[in-house]
This record gives sequence, C-alpha cells and structure tokens, in this order.
Amino acid sequence: MSIKDKVPVTILTGFLGSGKTTLLNRILSEEHGKRIAVIENEYGEVGIDQGLVINADEEVFEMSNGCICCTVRGDLIRVLGNLMKRRDKFDYVLVETTGLADPGPVAQTFFMDEEISSEFTLDGIVTLVDAAHIDQQLGRSDESSEQVAFADVLVLNKTDLVSDDALDTLESRLRDMNRMTRIIRAENAKVPIETVLNLSAFDLDQILKRRPTFLEPEYPFEWTGVYDLDTGKYELMLEEGPDPEMSLVALAKQGESEEELKDGAESSVRLYAEKANTLEPGNTIPYGEHINLKLEDKGNKSFILNIEKPTKIGLFTQHTAEEFNMKVIKSDENKEIPFNTERFWQAEHEHDDEVGSIAIERFGDVDPEKLNTWMGRLLSEKGVDIFRTKGFISYSGNPRRIVFQGVHMLFTAQPDKEWGNEPRRNQLVFIGRNLNEEEMQEGFDKCLI
Amino acid sequence: MPDIEPFSPRGMFHEGWTAEVSDYAIACGWALKGKQFIVGDVSGGIFAFEGDTGKIIWKKENTHSGGLLAMAIHPEGEIFATSGQDGNVQICNCHEGKVIKTLDLGKGWVEHLKWSNDGLFLAIASSKKVYVFNEIGEEKWISEDHPSTVSAITWSNKNELATACYGRVTFFDIVNNKTNQKLEWQGSLVSMELSPDGDIVACGSQDNSVHFWRRSTGMDAEMTGYPGKPSHLSFDDSGKLLATSGSERVTVWSFIGNGPEGTMPGELCHHTEPISSLAFSNKGMLVASGSRDGSVVASFLKKDGNGDPVGAAFAGDLVGAISWRPDDCALAAVNAKGVVNVWKFKVRTNLFSKGFKEK
Repeated sequence: MSIKDKVPVTILTGFLGSGKTTLLNRILSEEHGKRIAVIENEYGEVGIDQGLVINADEEVFEMSNGCICCTVRGDLIRVLGNLMKRRDKFDYVLVETTGLADPGPVAQTFFMDEEISSEFTLDGIVTLVDAAHIDQQLGRSDESSEQVAFADVLVLNKTDLVSDDALDTLESRLRDMNRMTRIIRAENAKVPIETVLNLSAFDLDQILKRRPTFLEPEYPFEWTGVYDLDTGKYELMLEEGPDPEMSLVALAKQGESEEELKDGAESSVRLYAEKANTLEPGNTIPYGEHINLKLEDKGNKSFILNIEKPTKIGLFTQHTAEEFNMKVIKSDENKEIPFNTERFWQAEHEHDDEVGSIAIERFGDVDPEKLNTWMGRLLSEKGVDIFRTKGFISYSGNPRRIVFQGVHMLFTAQPDKEWGNEPRRNQLVFIGRNLNEEEMQEGFDKCLI
Repeated sequence: MPDIEPFSPRGMFHEGWTAEVSDYAIACGWALKGKQFIVGDVSGGIFAFEGDTGKIIWKKENTHSGGLLAMAIHPEGEIFATSGQDGNVQICNCHEGKVIKTLDLGKGWVEHLKWSNDGLFLAIASSKKVYVFNEIGEEKWISEDHPSTVSAITWSNKNELATACYGRVTFFDIVNNKTNQKLEWQGSLVSMELSPDGDIVACGSQDNSVHFWRRSTGMDAEMTGYPGKPSHLSFDDSGKLLATSGSERVTVWSFIGNGPEGTMPGELCHHTEPISSLAFSNKGMLVASGSRDGSVVASFLKKDGNGDPVGAAFAGDLVGAISWRPDDCALAAVNAKGVVNVWKFKVRTNLFSKGFKEK
C-alpha cells in the first residue's frame, strides 16, 4: 500500500487545560470534507460533538528488551486495529492524548507495529501550549518539554492572557528547544485547520519555505563592527549594558566583504572556544584572543586599542554595540571613529533547557554505508535522548534525494524527488536532550565523500 | 486489494457456495453440527446460512451499536454469543437468531468471548476485567482488574480460565474463586492458545515473538525472529504442533521430542502477504491459513512442522476468519469485503485419509 492510500493520523498533545478539546471541537465542526475518527484518552472535561469518537485508556507497553524506543501504546494498537476494518467510515484519524502522555510511544506505535504502519501514516504531532502556564510546566515536568520537542506544530494558545513581550520570550524559548516546529499563536485554540491537519510534517521543504534561516549556524557573538584605523592609540568605550561583562575578539586585517566577515567569524568561533582572559578597564586589548571585558563599574569604561600601522580592526562582540553604547574613540583627538561595516549574527543564546535542536547542513554527497553505520551507532547510543530526526540526504550515485524521519532510534529513509539542477546537499535536524552538537557534526562530516 | 490473480479452487478444495454479508466479516463459525454457518460483520450484522447450500436462514443488523467485536458459538451448536463496542453481550439461539439474554457490562469494549469445552460457562473479557456467566446468562464470577486490558482468554479445563494481558498469563479457578497460577513475563501478549491437554501455554507478543510455558515444569521459552507480531496461533488436536502467524509464512513449532527449543520450525511459504487467519482441522495435522492477499491454503504437516500444500483457494480479499466444518469436510473463509466462501474439502487419494474421510 502506498503512502497515499494510508490513513493520515494527527496526534494532539498538550497539558490539561491547554485547549486540546476546544481545538478538537473546532476541527470537527469546521467544513473540511473529511470524516474524522477521534481516539480520545482524556475525557470528561468537555464533550466532543461528533459521531466516531472512541474512548480508550492510555496503555503504555514496554518490551522485554527494555528498550524505550520499542515502547508502544497498546490502546492505540487495539483501537486502530478495529478502525482499519471500518475504512469506509472515515478518512482521517485524530488522537487526543492525556496531558501527561509521553509522545514517544504514541509516535513509535506508527513505526513499530506492522499492522498499524501498513494502514496508517503519522501525519504530524500538534502540541498545544498554554501561554500563561507553560513556563512553569517546562520547569516542572519532563512530559511538557518532550511534548514541545516532538511537536511539528506548536499552538501557543491563550495568547490573550499574556503580554506580547512575554510571548516573544516564550516563543524564543520554545524555538530553542525545537527548531523545526512551526509556532502558531492562538486565542481560544482558534487556528486555521490547514495548519494542523494534512501537514505531511515530515516534509522538510515545507519547513524551509517557512523558515529559510533555521539551519543557519548560531554564533557565540551577536555583532561585528569593522573599523578603519590609522596608527595611534584608541579607546573602546562602553556604558552600562545588560551584563556586568562581555566577551570580545578583536581581529586585525579584517575585510568587509560577506566572505571575509564569515572567515573572521569562523576564526572568532574558534577563539571563543578558548578560555577568556579577563580585562579590567584601562587594560589593553590584545588581538586574536578571547577576552572578557569587566564592566561592573558605573559610568563609562575604557579599554585601550593600540594600532601600530593602519589596518581594519574587526570587533566580534558577544552583544551588539548598541546595548552598551559602545564607541571607538581616537585618544589624542577625542574623536569618535564610526564603524565602516557592521554585521549581525544569529546569536547562540544560553540554552537553559536540556531539550534542544541540532541542525547539520552540508553540501555534497554522503556514502550511504558510512551514514548508516554512523546513524546506527548514534541512535543506538543516544536514541533515548533523541526525540525526533528529520531531514534529507544526498546519497552518492542516487538521482533522488533521500528523506529521513525518525522517532527515537527508529527511522525510515525513503527516496523522494530527483535532485535535478539543485545543488546536492544534506540537511538534518535532531531534537533531543543534552545532545553534543560538535560531536554529531564531526560524525556526520566523516560520512561525506 | 490483493495483488494476486484470482484462481479457482485447487487440490482438495472444490467449489461450494458463496454469499455476502453487509460489511467487513470478522467472525464466523459452524452451528447445529455443521448444518448452519454463522457470520458476523464489523458493523454488527449477523447472518446465518445453510451449511450445505449457503441459503440465508436469518439475518439481523446493528446488533451492537458501535460495532461487533467478537462471536462465539456454543460447543453444542444450539446457541451463540456476540459482543461489541456497546459493552453488551447477547446470547442468542441459532435457529432463529433470537436474543435469549443481553448482558450489560458497562461502557468498555467487550472484545473476547469463549465458551468452556463442556459449554457450561461463557467467559467474557471487557477492558481489564473478565466475567464468567452460565449458559442462561447468570453471572458466576468476576475477576479483579488486570494490569492492562485483557488481550486473550481461553479455558484450560472445565473450571479453569486462562487470561492474558500485558506482562502475564493468569489461571483462575472460577468455581472456587482463586488464582491457580501466574506466569509473568514483561511483554505485551497479544494472543494465547493452550495445547488441548492444557499444559503448553503459547502467547504471541507485541515484540514479534512467541512466548510459551509448560505449566507442569514451569519452563518457558521465547521464539523470536518474526517480522511481525504473531496475532494468530493454532494447536493441532494432539498438541504437538503449534502454527503461528507473524509474516507471510506460517511458522510451525513442533513439541515432539525435546522441541521446539533449539529446533528449526517448519515454514509454509504459500502466501504473498502476512497471514491473517489460521486454523488446524478438528482432527489431524492439517492446517488452513488465510492471508491478507486473499489466498487460503490447506497444508498437511509432518511431525517436524514442515509440510506440503494439499489445496488452495482464493477468497477475494483479506481473509478475516476461517473455520473448518466439524467433520473437516468443508472449510469456510470470510473476507474484508464481506464475502463468504465455503469450499468442500475432499480427499482424492488414500494418502491423507487419516483423520478425515471422504464423504
């Protein structure tokens, strides 16, 4: 049976009170021409107004091998096993889980059970989040962060109860945890139905169309200014800012083209990886070193830049110049020298949450065997902590791109459309807990030809 | 739809009769000593046909709102029970299909029904509980809650009922209300069969294995290597051979000698898609298998579990259930399109005459 004949299934997760039943009723009452069968694990609160609703108590079945990736939901197997005999009655399935449900076993059921996977296909996981309470919930329970991590769509519900600023902060926190999710803000679970059903959520093209930059690397600095400086003594002057200190790398002979800026950024990333030397106000800033400016004192603080012969200096700073009202002053003339060029970078922020995303993007082809070995090992060692994997890969010798999707250590790789004239490349996103980005990128790089 | 080409009955299968029910047929069985064949469909239609001709005797629709889940015909063949998503069990008479008694067990699905061999008791599984009623619908026993939804029930002797669920098989003495034995194993047991003497307990497991125990010795073993979960199991009448599903092959374990531990199972490779139903003949080492591809094959087995096909027929679509007539001279198959096929099964040579004689 091809994927087209399989019945799509959407999983609705979210804490009690996040608005799942409201969303469900909204979906069911809308004119969309679909006959939807609903499997409900959570009931009582609000009734569901529709015909084919099946209540089932959540039953999580672990296997004797102890592998959590093999854990499935017995209730879903039972109910879907019955539904597959009634395919003339419906063409879509919605599963509403309890607030405390671990989405892993729910999703795994569609990979692990042959009878189920032959008839149904997991279309997407939609997680509802109560904008007013999710911050606390994320701190308290693993389930809520896992529900965020697994989501293809995050509905940030009850936005009317929260300020815009708080929503922005919340959205960026959620985005940190799951970079491939689509976040939709909603009041009273009012979202366009096409944003939650028939997502083909595993289609990475869709994600890239919505967020073209989500694979862009993050840098440990937010800003670069390039200053054209003559021989002489300069002061880097900063006022109070958001932090009592700031990291910085100063590079001499910094070019201004995009390519030169990226080269400079690459060098700075390496320097940032080293331990910073702390400088007190009045100290001289060395070149090509990771330093940490002490900014505790009130008022203006100055650090010295010595230029022996005319050059362009690139300052790669942890925060933007604006945040500290940072200026370069020529000491003897007491004159501000403006930057020639500035460049903002996608800043790497503190990842407070254990759950996060890792993206790998590389041009070229991979060796399928090496990739299989690497993925196999990665998933067997880290499968428990890797919630979702999505992406596409260019196998050498294969005219089609290969689409990957996985849940924990289960994954499928299927040939997709032909590459044609598109440059061949690989894009993979992993969402998980405490993942080591560097190690994973190195591992992937070894699979490239 | 199956990918294989339709074909006429071959070998020992011969044209019999066909009929149709209203929906996906999920259960069937012979009543009145083979004179009647009863079929239940998923939406709750029950149909009774003349065993020889296929002529409809009676039918009724919507017996269980939400749909039918199980049907069991009493060993004497005069009454039968059905159950469904409505939480009800109906005990009906075979002659007219009239409801003798309706049992309301609450809101859970009632998924399994089993009459005891002597026909005195009807065991019923609904959600985490198992109930025992007598023939006239009087409640005799109720279990405590099981750790999960009960996935299979079967009688081990006239007063002892075995139940399977996540993590264990339990044997209950339902007359004295006590637990006789618990066999524990961490895994989701999806099917269960006992050898006719009640000693061997075989369970298909969600992790694509068959687990079995010998009650007399307490020994257990796990047979792995199935591509899918073995949802269908069948013992032959001697209790020596266990046929299992779990792939497009029928895998047969032989309990002769020291087996099946450390032995290779017999494998019957006659279907192109996974096995969807299995049944040994009432007597003899003849197993019938039905597949998602719509094919039905009868194989005659040797002691080691290997064997040869002796007949094949095409049921048109996924085979929902199969049933040998009590005299083994006909086999019935019902399919996902609601089509009923009954083929005569006749021996052509003297070679296989043991156990079923020519009519």
